[in-house]
Amino acid sequence: MATKKEERIFEKERRKSQKARMARMKKDGLDKYFTPDQIRYNRNRRIIGAVWPFFRGLILFGLGFVIMYPLLFMLSTAFRPNEQMNDPSIVWLPKSFTWNNIHETATVMKFNYWDAAHPFHNTVLNTILLNVVSSVLQVITCSITGYGFARFKFKGRNVLFAIVLLMIIVPPQITTIPLYLQFAYFKLFGIIPLYDAKGEPLSIINTGLTMYLPALFANGIKAGLFIYIFRQFFRGLPKELEDAAYLDGCGPFETYVKIMIPNAKTSFLTVFLFSIVWYWNDFYVSSSFFTENNTVALMLKNLDATLQQQLFDGQTVSVRQIIVWLESGCLLAITPLLIMYTFLQKYFVEGVERSGLTGM
Amino acid sequence: MADNTNNRAPEINDIQSDIVSAAAAKPKGLNIPYERRKQLYGYGFIALWFVGSIYFFIAPLIQSLIYSFHQTKIVTGGMQMSNPGFKNYYNAFRKDQYYVPALTAMIKDTLLNTPLIIVFSVFIAVILNQKFKGRTAARAIFFLPVIIATGPVIDIINGNMSTGGYAGGSEQFSTMFETNLVDDLLNFLGIYNISDKLTNVISTLTSDIMNLIWKCGIQIILFLSALQGIPYSAKEAASMEGATSWEYFWKITVPYISPILISALVYTIVDSFVDPSNDVMTLVLNQSKQWEHGYSAAMAWAYFAIVGAILAVVLAVINRFVYYEVE
Repeated sequence: MATKKEERIFEKERRKSQKARMARMKKDGLDKYFTPDQIRYNRNRRIIGAVWPFFRGLILFGLGFVIMYPLLFMLSTAFRPNEQMNDPSIVWLPKSFTWNNIHETATVMKFNYWDAAHPFHNTVLNTILLNVVSSVLQVITCSITGYGFARFKFKGRNVLFAIVLLMIIVPPQITTIPLYLQFAYFKLFGIIPLYDAKGEPLSIINTGLTMYLPALFANGIKAGLFIYIFRQFFRGLPKELEDAAYLDGCGPFETYVKIMIPNAKTSFLTVFLFSIVWYWNDFYVSSSFFTENNTVALMLKNLDATLQQQLFDGQTVSVRQIIVWLESGCLLAITPLLIMYTFLQKYFVEGVERSGLTGM
Repeated sequence: MADNTNNRAPEINDIQSDIVSAAAAKPKGLNIPYERRKQLYGYGFIALWFVGSIYFFIAPLIQSLIYSFHQTKIVTGGMQMSNPGFKNYYNAFRKDQYYVPALTAMIKDTLLNTPLIIVFSVFIAVILNQKFKGRTAARAIFFLPVIIATGPVIDIINGNMSTGGYAGGSEQFSTMFETNLVDDLLNFLGIYNISDKLTNVISTLTSDIMNLIWKCGIQIILFLSALQGIPYSAKEAASMEGATSWEYFWKITVPYISPILISALVYTIVDSFVDPSNDVMTLVLNQSKQWEHGYSAAMAWAYFAIVGAILAVVLAVINRFVYYEVE
């Protein structure tokens, strides 16, 4: 195998010789070598090849700007003193920069709250704990389920898989209320009622369990989609892997742990990353089950109300007056995701490409 | 097993007898054929999910279906139900002045936006699949909405916060775009104000251009993965035959990515229907905030049934045009 550098040199030489050949042919007269059709085809190709990159750049730049616009706006406003919001002479670059907005918003959102006795009253730490635990559980259980659907034939498989598809399609809004009641009056295995120390029915609302338990049973946020991705991925692996493992004396679960997991590393990472993103951004499910447990998404959702309470003594203010704090809040909320994305960008994209979603 | 591998007898008979003796030597409980055993292991692998989905998915689903046929009241220990019947559904469709308009508007929007999103994502995916400098950066930017658009950040960007009122990024941006560029372009092409309908359609499209682009992330990834699955031989054959890029797109690219079209379609439709900020979902959530759980469940279920029907029709139609490579 040639290295990348060598390949580049080969490519250069190839181009050079092709150019030389074309020059020679042109000197002899092109009609000797090509039919008129071919000449026209080649000319068109050359013209398109010269013009297209320009248009492509234009399109990409324009659409890229549309996507970046809110982020640029966020950056521009988050560091702008509030008075300069109404200054018509400022479009993007403020006259002076300030950290105050960020600092005040972080205090309101409890980003820099610290209490050694309750470290998880800090919003960021709490969210990270919830996200990572749920995502890890979710990845493990969804992959096991996906493997079961991909590689074993059993009666009723199609019916059961239809449930997975239903999980993708049914919005969480339909099941939230009954689920809330199940959690508020929690019963072990759905049958045995439990009671807390005061003799009241045990409620797991406001605890992390409302997130962990569904994730542990492969029913967390977007679990259906993840099961589907894993199933597609495992279906794409060659069947011989399992037969070889079986002949070497591996049981199915051992095969899964020792053969399949190492093969599915990228897929695991992709699903894990997406799971983190979705848990981080989720506010619907968490707002239904948490009233006191703060996550970043919930804080951001209620930011305007809390801002009015804490910075404006409960007066009603228009959104225009607090936009700098809102945008700082946005910036604070997405910065961790953006940092993760810049470093692991390749896994977000390549992982999905390789996970076999193509072979529907 | 060990006997079997150590003892390499050349005769077929010997091997057969070996296998038989190996099977006989196994403990009695394991004397189930391999295929049967695999079946049982299959159940083992999905057991965890199955138990979970009964408790966390199917039971709540059926429960909410039951709510939708009752008048409900929250009491200690659970939900109290009375007056069984179709009253909730009747109220939603015949008495509620917001539900039906929201529903039709929602369906119209989705039917209009879905093809646009699909076409646009295919276009971007084809561009991002070409080789050029800065491709990684371009891809990173176009996938950025996947990370951000699912969260509450998009609400602030769009100015849909609970207090509302702020002309947020998308509106601000789109107004700028709409008034300056699109009208100019239409004027320039001489098709401005040919008919009010056309102008209306174009202005609805452009007024939402940012939301449209922001919804394309996952679809672009899906199509990109499909594009990378096009075998090199097809590309080579096409260029040998002298296909232009246009012909190549319609005769090679489109058939090859058509299977992924289905998943992209399903994703787009479902995504736009379950978006918590759409009108119907807002109605449903408001009802459940006012403790009208039965009514809210009825609305959600009727909505869900309609979405399901639309999905089924769309899939049935699209499935006829999908090209599956025979292996």
